[in-house]
Amino acid sequence: MSDDNNNINLTIDGQQVSVPRGTTVLEAARSIGIEIPTFCWHPKLKPAGACRICYVEIEKARTLMVSCATEVGPDMVVQTASEKVLQGRKAVLEFILMNHPLDCPTCDKGGECDLQNLTFKHGVDDSRFDFKKYRHIRDKNSTFDDLRIGPEIIRNQNRCILCYKCVRANKDIFGEQDLGAYQRGNITEINTPPGEQVDSLYSGNLVEICPVGALTNTDWRYKIRVWNTQTVDSVCSYCADGCNLTLWKNKQKVYRATSRRNDNIDEGWICDVGRYGYQVPMTEDRLTTPLIKKGDAQVPATWEEALGLISEKFKKIKDERGGVCIGGLISPNLDSLSLHTFSKFFRKILNSNNVDFRAGYKMLPEKSDDLYSKLTSLPFKIADIEKSDLIFVLDSDLTKEHPIVNLRVRKAITQKNASLFALNPIATQTGGLATDEMVYNIGALHALLNGLCVSLIDQNLTQYENASDLKNRLSPNTIEKASNISGIEVARINSLAKVIAEAKNISLIAGELLTSAINREELAGAIINLCLLAGIFDKGQVGVLSQAANSKGAEKLAVMPHLSERSILKLKQIWDNYPDNDGLALDQMIRSSIKEELDSMFIIGSNLMLEYPDGAVVKEGLEKLDFLVVADICETETTQLADVVLPLSTWVEYESSFVNLEGVEQKFNAAIKPIGFSLPAYQIINKISQGLKTPLFEMIDELIPEIKTLLQPDENQNSFETCAIEYIEEKQNPEFEIPLLVSNELHHFGYYTEKSNSLSSFCSEAFLEISPGLAEKLDVKEGSIVRVESEIGKINLPVKISEYIDNDVVRAYRNFSASPVNILQMRKRNVDRVKLTVVEGT
Amino acid sequence: MEKKILTKYIDDPNQVNIDTYLSHGGYKALEKALKEMKPPEVIEEVKKSGVRGRGGAGFPAGVKWGFIPKDNPKPRYLVCNGDESEPGTCKDRVLMESDPHGVVEGMAISSYAIGSHLAFIYIRGEFAYPARMMEKAVEEAYEKGYLGKNILGTGYDLDMIVHTGGGAYICGEESSQLNSIEGERGMSRMRPPFPAVAGLYACPTIVNNVETLAAVPFIINNGGDWYASMGTEKSNGTKLFSLSGHVKNPGNYELELGTPLSVLINDLGGGMLDGHKLKAIIPGGSSTPMLLPDQIDVKLDYESLAEAGSMLGSGAVIVIDERTCMIWVAERLIHFYRHESCGKCTPCRDGTGWLEQLISRIERGEGKPGDIEKIESLCGNIMGRTVCPLGDAAVMPIESSIKLFRDEWEYHIQNKKCMVKSEFAFK
Amino acid sequence: MILNEKSVAEIKKKMVRYPRRKSAILPAITVAYRQVGHLNGELYREVSQIIEIPVIDIATAASFYTMFPKEPVGKYLIQVCHNISCALLGADSLIGYLEEKLGIKKGETTEDDMFTLISVECLGGCTAAPMMQINDEFYENLTREKVDKILEDLRNKA
Ligand SMILES: Cc1cc2nc3c(=O)[nH]c(=O)nc-3n(C[C@H](O)[C@H](O)[C@H](O)COP(=O)(O)O)c2cc1C
Ligand code: SF4
Ligand code: FES
Repeated sequence: MSDDNNNINLTIDGQQVSVPRGTTVLEAARSIGIEIPTFCWHPKLKPAGACRICYVEIEKARTLMVSCATEVGPDMVVQTASEKVLQGRKAVLEFILMNHPLDCPTCDKGGECDLQNLTFKHGVDDSRFDFKKYRHIRDKNSTFDDLRIGPEIIRNQNRCILCYKCVRANKDIFGEQDLGAYQRGNITEINTPPGEQVDSLYSGNLVEICPVGALTNTDWRYKIRVWNTQTVDSVCSYCADGCNLTLWKNKQKVYRATSRRNDNIDEGWICDVGRYGYQVPMTEDRLTTPLIKKGDAQVPATWEEALGLISEKFKKIKDERGGVCIGGLISPNLDSLSLHTFSKFFRKILNSNNVDFRAGYKMLPEKSDDLYSKLTSLPFKIADIEKSDLIFVLDSDLTKEHPIVNLRVRKAITQKNASLFALNPIATQTGGLATDEMVYNIGALHALLNGLCVSLIDQNLTQYENASDLKNRLSPNTIEKASNISGIEVARINSLAKVIAEAKNISLIAGELLTSAINREELAGAIINLCLLAGIFDKGQVGVLSQAANSKGAEKLAVMPHLSERSILKLKQIWDNYPDNDGLALDQMIRSSIKEELDSMFIIGSNLMLEYPDGAVVKEGLEKLDFLVVADICETETTQLADVVLPLSTWVEYESSFVNLEGVEQKFNAAIKPIGFSLPAYQIINKISQGLKTPLFEMIDELIPEIKTLLQPDENQNSFETCAIEYIEEKQNPEFEIPLLVSNELHHFGYYTEKSNSLSSFCSEAFLEISPGLAEKLDVKEGSIVRVESEIGKINLPVKISEYIDNDVVRAYRNFSASPVNILQMRKRNVDRVKLTVVEGT
Repeated sequence: MEKKILTKYIDDPNQVNIDTYLSHGGYKALEKALKEMKPPEVIEEVKKSGVRGRGGAGFPAGVKWGFIPKDNPKPRYLVCNGDESEPGTCKDRVLMESDPHGVVEGMAISSYAIGSHLAFIYIRGEFAYPARMMEKAVEEAYEKGYLGKNILGTGYDLDMIVHTGGGAYICGEESSQLNSIEGERGMSRMRPPFPAVAGLYACPTIVNNVETLAAVPFIINNGGDWYASMGTEKSNGTKLFSLSGHVKNPGNYELELGTPLSVLINDLGGGMLDGHKLKAIIPGGSSTPMLLPDQIDVKLDYESLAEAGSMLGSGAVIVIDERTCMIWVAERLIHFYRHESCGKCTPCRDGTGWLEQLISRIERGEGKPGDIEKIESLCGNIMGRTVCPLGDAAVMPIESSIKLFRDEWEYHIQNKKCMVKSEFAFK
Repeated sequence: MILNEKSVAEIKKKMVRYPRRKSAILPAITVAYRQVGHLNGELYREVSQIIEIPVIDIATAASFYTMFPKEPVGKYLIQVCHNISCALLGADSLIGYLEEKLGIKKGETTEDDMFTLISVECLGGCTAAPMMQINDEFYENLTREKVDKILEDLRNKA
């Protein structure tokens, strides 16, 4: 039997099989449906060959071989179920069972434990071992020998079979440093470093890959038995990565979420927000009926009453002042059906373009931002990051913003030796892997990008024909100027330019700070210049990553007032009419409400009072409205202002889809029925529309073709031109000099997740992250309270000293309703700035 | 009787000083290798000598050096294994503390042969004094230009690091040793890849025992043929034997391979202690199967000991007399292996633990019928099924003890006590 | 800071010799152990700072190596080899004798924190059995008289 040089032919249990060179015997066997049991093997981890359960017999080999770590060889003859193999496997099981407690009835893993299953299958027991089982006792009075090693995770070392999967994944895949193996031999234990705990964003995965009940989490523990649950395919509703989930439910309750491996996206890993985020829909304080404002109280009402009132009001406004006097805001965490229905309701029924989803953004443009939307419509694939030899991150704290993209970047670097360069206003965890993470003076990104372009031209590293022309248009930008403004040495800028020019395949990734920036159109322009000069469009991919689970969907479904020509064309295609008026972006809605030009707003799933980066202004705006309708899943600071509040269903309660940052539409199914009298947004909208005698659909499916058309990937766009836009420095008030960054806390996303007990157990209150240096200057320590004061607002926060911040920038988090930081922010300022005064605890 | 080659000067307290070492012809071999021989010629000479690994496995050194891939651009490393933790063994220690320059010179020549510019000597942590002697020797060698840049003007550079362990027998096993040097836990690695292909920092690496490398200067000085002329046909040269246990004159003795065991025990060792009767011999360190008194004339070489059902191993001969309970011996040994298992693979980690519990209960007089059979079957489930040979090392002495002294094991279980109680008072 | 300047300097000196910093873990904790007499989390953190390697790598590695006590011991750590060659020549009775002389059981430390007595695996002194190691020194071919003298001298030295 002859092998061509990249395929190997062998025989497994009498079956011929041909697999690529380098395949393991285990994988070869699986490829033809022969199952070999494993404990320490994992598809995404390097083989360890530790547990020895995967023995096979290989002709001419003296001893049994571990199939997970043995590569196939030409004409190998493999037995996976011979006498000898079964004997060896039983022997290993017997060894493992020796000290393994027989507490399956009280063990959380019971019913889904690899060890339990295999033991039944092979009819092995521990009866030959007639000694007392060894106990890694933690607490003399505890019968369970449990040790809490993290906010969520509990370790029972007695059950651990030392497959080391948790430790290997934590180190090799997540790059975390909070779990390791201690001691040695048969007293080895899995534990944290002295005085630390397992609290990384990926901690839940450790529980999921533990083959036994050694690692369990509070989330699922003792709540229900796995055989009493049914599973439902779902998708994460938080960030834009779009991890695939399995929801485990019983009747009207969801009990946990686990990963549903999708190698294009998550590779079987999910972050804790996705894992524990399902708890939000399960909270006690869900809105279950509509509320109508009577005097200054909101009293429960029926849908008839509520809908009646709304349609009456909307109709009146529409007839007397026009649909343009109603503004609409919908959350990008809502599904595609709802987003589209919303846009259709405003555009077709109210004949108005006043729709928006960008609550958390800085000042929005009053026209379509063509460069930006052109850039965002470029194809980007998470899996293709692995193909790049250079990963270039702009303005993104990847771990926080896109945990799963972050893992792919890690993989590219640690397993495919790609190199990483990052430009960030603050040092990041991902940056730890970077060849050079350039922490620039906040606000200077545009200058820096222009500098990079000039550098490419000056070092003549570009093949772009109109380079010299661009050079002129770019002046007075120089590398020196870029260096002065950004604080990055000229040499570093030049060497980065060189690296970019020389890379064979680049993944350029830009994040939240850029997408929500005021000058994102300018930044987009600068990035386009860079891509043209360095030929990035032809040698790699550009990902301007959208933020929320369906932000990409919202963009593609045109839930914005100002649209590019191409989107307008598309809408005209699917609808006979398109409002010819110029719609209002969210900022304009708020302002016109203050000017009493806008009468009403219809808000779905968005807590503007906390999200809108100008707390004071938005309050005034919303209060000035004659008629405010808010649909949400719980009472919020925003629903409290509403004339009518509508109970909204969550994504676990109906069937629809999200469009992830790659533009891939992913369906999710309903795990339970809507809670109380709540309804999915698209039904709420349709009912209101029916009230106006203009139903949007009989059956929701009617909208699917329209959605399909809008979600079509835009046909090739490589018609880019350079555009020189000069960097303008933002004026600032010298009294407030410390730049303030506002982002999601590691274990939170938006203002809902504080309702998840698990996520709150990692972090439950706001704080201000400052550098050790600044802490010294202010003479404060961990936990001291400081007053954070901006031109327009102030708030007291406890400080946390972080090694990630090495300059005088401070970071606050937007996830905690008790301390809303948006009252510090100014929508029209790109960079928020504050001053700090110590309140207590120096 | 003794054939003192590696140990010729170990009784001279000044041998540790480079001047004395030089006055005894030291570093001549290095000079010869660097100035007159190409690396392949050095390897050829070592192949010719037939010198085999003295660390236990007995693999021909020259052949192993030949396994380094020619085309691999990565740096290459030499690691000299001075972990010496096999119970009964203390021969490398003598070389390191009494003739450290011999070790340095051997390492330097070998590094040159395999094209390495950084050599490590891994010394078990408890050997603080030998480590100090090696450190001193290395410093002197640097000062005198036998190490460092452009050695003896030949353009060859070599750095040498003395790396000490932390109390772990498993770190004597080459793959664990490499992990230990890398700063990892001393867990054994799966092979392939073998160190010669991907060892330290995933670069081609040769690991050799101290004694193996210490022989190299003599091979270079006097030629491979000269070395091969000593010993037997397949087991060439001399070997150090650590004689311990119930003999009059325990100690380290250098013998031509093929010398009868009786010569070591009776002539050199002065026979049994206080005239007690010989009961058993562990010929190659605690991991090797035991021999019976009637095998005392077996020749000390790789082949003869294999025929006799045991191994030459590290050359540690442990003599056991009639007053000794073999279950007591077994308990000591299995306790050791359980304590030293790295914990990576199941059969070794859990198997040694189970065996220890069984054997000590027998020793305590609480053995149950069937325990012996159980021990045998457990040994079978460990032998040849572990990541590294520690598993085998743990079971071989047990299996042989049961094979050779089964009646004593059964007696122990039936009568709940030792046939002979091992009570050894220290003087 | 527990580690003194001398130790820190020594660690840095050893560290730079290695192709990779992580290799300095074992040398570094050895230096720490020699200065302090045992290892603990605080020392791991200090070493971590000096050689710029995560605490976890240092803590997990240190825990693997049994030569370093992980909590405080007496001024003199007496480690008697109890493995086969020494056992055949009376290691057990040597331990018994020490217990008697020091008035402590194996594994314990004397009131005055002078001596801690433990038994360990083969130390490579097999041809000079029975033997023991006190801190870094080997004491071989032990007899009662020798042991008496050794303890005597150590007491006087302290
Ligand atoms: C458990 C175990 C312990 C070992 N201990 C040592 C040792 O202390 N010294 C040594 O030189 N080799 C030891 N070895 C053998 C080494 O793995 C390796 O074969 C040897 O160092 C190679 O050198 P050599 O070919 O010169 O003998 C040990 C092997 C095993 C399996
Ligand atoms: S805790 Fe679970 S995953 Fe970790 S080593 Fe033990 S059995 Fe394996
Ligand atoms: S699965 Fe192969 S050794 Fe564990």
